[in-house]
Amino acid sequence: MNNNPPILEVRDLSVSFDKQEVLRDISFEVNEGEIMAIIGPNGAGKSVLFRALMNLISYNGEIKWREDAQIGYVPQKLFEKAELPLTVKEFFILKSKNLFFKDKQLIGSIVHELKSVGLKPEILSQQLTNLSRGQFQRVLIAWAILGHPYVLLFDEPTAGIDLAGEDTIYNLLHKLQNERGLTILIISHDLNIVYRYADKVLCLNKERLCFGKPQEALTNEQIRRLYGESAYYHHEHKT
Amino acid sequence: MTILDNQFLMILASGIFAALTASFLGAFIVIKRMALVGDVLSHVALPGIGLALLINIDPIYGAAAFLLVAAFGTWFIEKKTALPPDAIIGTFFTATLALGVLLVPNQELFESMFGNLFAIRFYDAIVIIITSIIIFVLTLILSRRLTLSIAAPDLAKSIGAKPDNSYLGFLLLFALSVALGIKLIGSVLMGALTILPAVSARNLSWSLKSFLSFSVILGVLMTGLGIIIASAFNFPPGPSVILSGILFFIISLFLKKS
Repeated sequence: MNNNPPILEVRDLSVSFDKQEVLRDISFEVNEGEIMAIIGPNGAGKSVLFRALMNLISYNGEIKWREDAQIGYVPQKLFEKAELPLTVKEFFILKSKNLFFKDKQLIGSIVHELKSVGLKPEILSQQLTNLSRGQFQRVLIAWAILGHPYVLLFDEPTAGIDLAGEDTIYNLLHKLQNERGLTILIISHDLNIVYRYADKVLCLNKERLCFGKPQEALTNEQIRRLYGESAYYHHEHKT
Repeated sequence: MTILDNQFLMILASGIFAALTASFLGAFIVIKRMALVGDVLSHVALPGIGLALLINIDPIYGAAAFLLVAAFGTWFIEKKTALPPDAIIGTFFTATLALGVLLVPNQELFESMFGNLFAIRFYDAIVIIITSIIIFVLTLILSRRLTLSIAAPDLAKSIGAKPDNSYLGFLLLFALSVALGIKLIGSVLMGALTILPAVSARNLSWSLKSFLSFSVILGVLMTGLGIIIASAFNFPPGPSVILSGILFFIISLFLKKS
């Protein structure tokens, strides 16, 4: 652990939609270079937390990012709009600050980022909708790390990526953490992944149920409270 | 009227420029899945035309004013409520068609709804061509942000873009472009001019660039062909433009890559 101030500090964060509380009094902090997993059942407010962290929705409480913290965001899914024909290259160009003219520098960085997520440049001319789920996930990660943010918010897809593919996605995130000192906040649905990769875990079900090192914070009792009996069994079965 | 006199060329040019912007903007209407809104929005022009005629100003300005207000209203309602825009606006805007029919004098009604080649004077042509070019350039500048906002609003916000603002800008540009085509194509069919090229283009395209290009090319082709047919057979231009568009759409179905 270093003695620098945390890259993210959250104090008493609450979010309500239509007078209904979705998050209540959430507090935690994340240090630079850590992987923090956020877990909880469906509707626990995990994605809402991300949206608040990116300042996309209004909230009460305090969210304090370190001043230079740039954020890259990997959404759970993108869109189901098959009527939008978009190649991988065009998708990256949409991130350009340059609104009209060719951004040569950007094109160079795209190839570099594709390589760092394990994709070949040939994928650039493919249509986004024709990619496999695994490829698509990597493209989203490459999109998020384009421009070298310090922090990555990763909203893991609930289903669809086979286990082998999933495993390498986490290896990839781990590699990014090591090589770039990237701080990663990940919404995860797989407790094994949490034990294996996360430095910290935040259990969420509208309010904070646990927070700390996975081995300490994530007791069986805690998991049962979080997911109910069936998930507890499921988890035991897996490990 | 001979096919190649100056007046005809002027009409053809203003039609082509109006189609250029309408079909470019229409491409975004289609990918945003708001074809119905785009189509019905054009009906709002009719009461605007009616009022303009009543107070004796050029109908194009009455149409533009009503369309801009309607576009802003669409944006506002969508922002303030969780309702899908087509649910409210589909019915509300169709009601303006009824109001328009009552407001527009009988002798002007048909051409307000279906267009009139000879409604275009030299001054109109200049206004249409210059405004079309301005709208086209503004849309081009907006297009990257707009596409990202449509595809993934959260990603757009995560890089500091303002999807709401791009969407409003887009709707206002769209409203203006509909107003430009109103005299020539008519209020009933102007919406179809924005959507037909885009849906045909979607059948042919493999990327955003090809989609936008095909949409513009098809829009220009169907309008050019429609105006020539209207002039040759003395048809109202609106229907002949839209029917040529349908022809291109059918061709695009056969060329569609599976």
